[in-house]
Amino acid sequence: METAELQDKIFAFVEAAKGKKKLKEKDILKGVSADTGEEKDTVKKAMRAMIDVGKLMYSYGGGASSVEIPSEEYLREKGLIK
Amino acid sequence: MGKKYDTPLLDELEKGPWPSFVTEIKKSATHSNMANDELGLVEKSYRDKRGYWKHGGIVGVLGYGGGVIGRYSALPDEFPGVAHFHTVRINQPSGFFYTTKALREICNIWDKYGSGLTNVHGSTGDLVLLGTTTEALEPIFAEYSSRGWDLGGSGSAMRTPSCCIGAARCEWSNIDAMGICNEMTQRFQDEMHRPAYPYKFKIKVAGCACDCVAAIARSDCSIIGTWKGDIAIDQAAVKDYAGKGMDINAEIVEMCPTSCMSYDGKELSIDNGECSRCMHCITKMTKALKTTGEKGITILIGSKAPIVVGSLLSWVVVPFMKIEPPYDDLYEMISKIIEWWDDNAKPRERIGELIEVKGMRPFLEAIGVPPSPAQVFEPRKDPFFFWSDDDFKK
Repeated sequence: METAELQDKIFAFVEAAKGKKKLKEKDILKGVSADTGEEKDTVKKAMRAMIDVGKLMYSYGGGASSVEIPSEEYLREKGLIK
Repeated sequence: MGKKYDTPLLDELEKGPWPSFVTEIKKSATHSNMANDELGLVEKSYRDKRGYWKHGGIVGVLGYGGGVIGRYSALPDEFPGVAHFHTVRINQPSGFFYTTKALREICNIWDKYGSGLTNVHGSTGDLVLLGTTTEALEPIFAEYSSRGWDLGGSGSAMRTPSCCIGAARCEWSNIDAMGICNEMTQRFQDEMHRPAYPYKFKIKVAGCACDCVAAIARSDCSIIGTWKGDIAIDQAAVKDYAGKGMDINAEIVEMCPTSCMSYDGKELSIDNGECSRCMHCITKMTKALKTTGEKGITILIGSKAPIVVGSLLSWVVVPFMKIEPPYDDLYEMISKIIEWWDDNAKPRERIGELIEVKGMRPFLEAIGVPPSPAQVFEPRKDPFFFWSDDDFKK
C-alpha cells in the first residue's frame, strides 16, 4: 500500500474514534494494521510522519497521552494554517 | 519593572536564615511580568487558601508528545501575565553535571522567553523551566535544540532516565551509573518523545545500595549497582577506626540488617553468605571495608508515588546482572518488561500496580527470569498455594 493511502486509512481510523474514545498510539497501530494488513512498524512510520507535519497530534488529558486530529487553534498556533 | 502587588503573606516566607522562593520570584519580577503576576496569584492563593492553577491541555512542540506540561491560571483576567504558565522540561545530563557556561546559556534563553524561574531539578530529573506561553514554545525548542539540548519526557511515556553521580564523584559506586543512564537515554529517545505507553515509566540508576537518586522509591525500573564477592577487611584500618572512638559494635555490627557481622574488640568478621549488600558498613568504615569480585546490577521493579492508588517501593526482580557497555542485555531486559506492561496494563496503570493485580509469576514468565528467593518482597500473608495445571504435569 502506498504511504499516502495508508495515511488516509490512519486518518479515517482516528476520525471515526473522535469524541468516542481517546486513542493511544498502540490502539491505532493495532487497529489500522488489522484493517489494512500492513505491518505495525509500517503503520507507525506513516503515523509518525503525519504527526511531524501536524496532520495528527499528541494530546494529553486525565493523566494519559493520546493521538488526535489537531484543532484549528493548534494548527494556527503552529503556523500550519492562517 | 515596578512592584505590582502587596504580598504580606508571601513576605512572611522571606524571614529566617534559609533561601526563600519568594525572594527569588521577587528578583525575577523586577524584569518579568510573568513572575510579577505569579507573585500576585500565589499571594491570592495563600489568602484564599486554595490553588488557582489548571493543569493539562494540548501544548507542546510539533512532532513531540512530551516535554511541556500545560499550566494555566484560573484567573487569567486578574493575572494576565500567568494566563499561560507552561512548564518546559529539559533533559538533564547524566549525574546533573553542567558547566557554568551551559547554565548561563540555558538561563539566558529562559529569560528571553519565560518567567526566568527554574526548578533544578524536578523529581524525575529534568531541568525544569517554570512558566512560559503557548506561542513561545516553538521558539524555545528551536533555541535549545540548536544548542544541543532536548526536551525531557512527560505524559504516558518513558520519562527522562536519571542517575546518581556514580563513579564520577563517588568511591562507593559499583557501576558506571552515568554511562548506563546516558545509554538508556539515547536508546529510549523515541519512547521519551512519542508517548505510546499506558502511563509513565521511569528508570533511575544508583551506583550502590545507598541509592542517592532514590531509585527504589521513585522509579518503575530501579537499577542498583552491587557486587558478588566478599567484603575485604583491612583489620589495621578497623583498629584505627576503633582507636579514634568508633563504637564498632553499636555503629556497625548491631546496625547490620542481616546480623552477618561480629566484632570481638580486636577483629571484625563478616559472614558474607548472609550479607545483603546494603552498604551500611562500607559507608561507615570506607577505609577498612571494600567490595571485591564481580560487579553488576540488581534490577528492581515497581515503585511509584501515591498518585492514583497509593505508593509502592520497587522489589527485586533480577538479583544480579553483569553488564558492560553498550548494555545490550539491560536494554533488552527493560524492553521485555515494558512490552509485558504495555500489553496488559489499563490506562494509567503503573507496572508495580499491574504486577500486584496479575502476580509476579506471569510477569517473571513473560520476561524469562527464573524465580529466586531474592525476589521475595515480604512473607506470604496466607497459607494457601495456587497451582496451575502445568505444575501437576511436571
